Amino acid sequence: MSEPKIRFDKVLKAYGPLKVLEDLDFHVDASEVVTIIGPSGSGKTTVLRVLMTLEPIQGGVMYVDGEPLNMMMSDGQLVPASKAHVRRIRDKIGMVFQSFNLFPHMTALENCIEAPIHSKGMAKSKAIDESMDLLAMVGLADKRDHYPSQLSGGQQQRVAIARALAMRPEILLFDEPTSALDPEMVGEVLSVIRRLAESGDYTILLVTHQMGFARDVSDRVCFFDGGRMVEQGKPEALFGHPRNERLKQFLSKVLEAV
Amino acid sequence: MAIPRIAFIFAITAFLAGLGVATFSELRIFLPALLRGAVVTVQVSVLSIALFLLTAFVAGIARAFGTAPVRWSAAIFVEVFRGTSLLVILFWFFFVLPEFGVVMPPMVAAVLGIGLNFGAYGAEVVRGAVQSVPRGQTEASIALNMTQFKRMTRIIIPQAVVITIPGLSNLTIELIKATALVSAVTLTDITFASVQQNQLHYRTLEIFAITVLLYYCLAQFIRFGGGWLEDHFSRHLKPRSA
Repeated sequence: MSEPKIRFDKVLKAYGPLKVLEDLDFHVDASEVVTIIGPSGSGKTTVLRVLMTLEPIQGGVMYVDGEPLNMMMSDGQLVPASKAHVRRIRDKIGMVFQSFNLFPHMTALENCIEAPIHSKGMAKSKAIDESMDLLAMVGLADKRDHYPSQLSGGQQQRVAIARALAMRPEILLFDEPTSALDPEMVGEVLSVIRRLAESGDYTILLVTHQMGFARDVSDRVCFFDGGRMVEQGKPEALFGHPRNERLKQFLSKVLEAV
Repeated sequence: MAIPRIAFIFAITAFLAGLGVATFSELRIFLPALLRGAVVTVQVSVLSIALFLLTAFVAGIARAFGTAPVRWSAAIFVEVFRGTSLLVILFWFFFVLPEFGVVMPPMVAAVLGIGLNFGAYGAEVVRGAVQSVPRGQTEASIALNMTQFKRMTRIIIPQAVVITIPGLSNLTIELIKATALVSAVTLTDITFASVQQNQLHYRTLEIFAITVLLYYCLAQFIRFGGGWLEDHFSRHLKPRSA
């Protein structure tokens, strides 16, 4: 059996006595598109944040392509990872945030080329070529010299997607990418994500409240509640025939709201 | 805004020019001494401002980003130089340190004392600015796999600089006025020169009018410079005109 792209092995994330993720076993295969749904406080965003190493975990191991991320092998033993080890593995992961987090002092193009040049050491001309292709792909080539404050929310989020792609990640994490957007801008962002999902070039882990979209693009949907993965399955099965009582309640609430 | 200020400056200048004509012979007697004092004030100011800004950024960034020992050293520096009187610091540099074999010329003692004292205040301005850059900027830099050094120099500090400008401009103006204390270490700056010339010639109004005008002009220079820098560094926040 081939190694999954991402694997969580008994991952524990706690703030003091509060366990946000408890002994989480979880995996995502290469090129798989997985959506995580759940009520607020269920730990769904935390899964992305610990994988991106934005927050440390208190127990367990996360693997990417079979290599440990938060730990490393030394003399046949797992020891806490060095910064260099984390940077090497993390290079495969890109993330898109709910609040975009573009660099406000840089133009759209500068946002995209910043990390390829200063983190990967790519030549500037090559970085510009690649980033311009990506900006064109998200439909914003003409906005290359605009600063984030001069762009709409939907445009900012599309620049943020181009910026993440410019690092040529293999894994893309989307943390509620449309939650901060005005309703009329949700579509333009989802259509970009849909294209990435359908290309099969990326392993995608998505947290969203857009249930219709999750149903459309996902290979698998996972329902989180209280720091545990309570139910998972193909979108038709999970949305069509939920078994868990909490999932039934959750779905009836969110689907009612639509 | 600009017109009343220009009118005000014009009025003062005209008033002084009138006085100058009326007392031309007297001006020739005390003006050279005042100008020599003005040169000292400007020299001390420029050098102290350079040291002040350097210290503020080094200590402020050390407090925000440093490892524990670095943070603590910076905190001790800030507390020592912020918690003691500038006049006493100047006395220490010029009169006490020679007892321990450290002898420095008055200009060096003045610049060190003022620069480090204001640098300690400035460090807190810089630390506050660095810490007010939203956490999302750090997270985006981590997600883009940037090193901590690149994150500091390319993402956080450029955004913090614009936030520091009003606070540091304020301190810079305060610093220029504080240079009047350097006569304590035997330098003859414009304030001390004015006092001397007044005792010699009793032209109180003219002498102190010139002195106050010099301080005011220096302060205005900093004010406009700070305003220009703030505009320059925040142009990305303005709507596009094209």
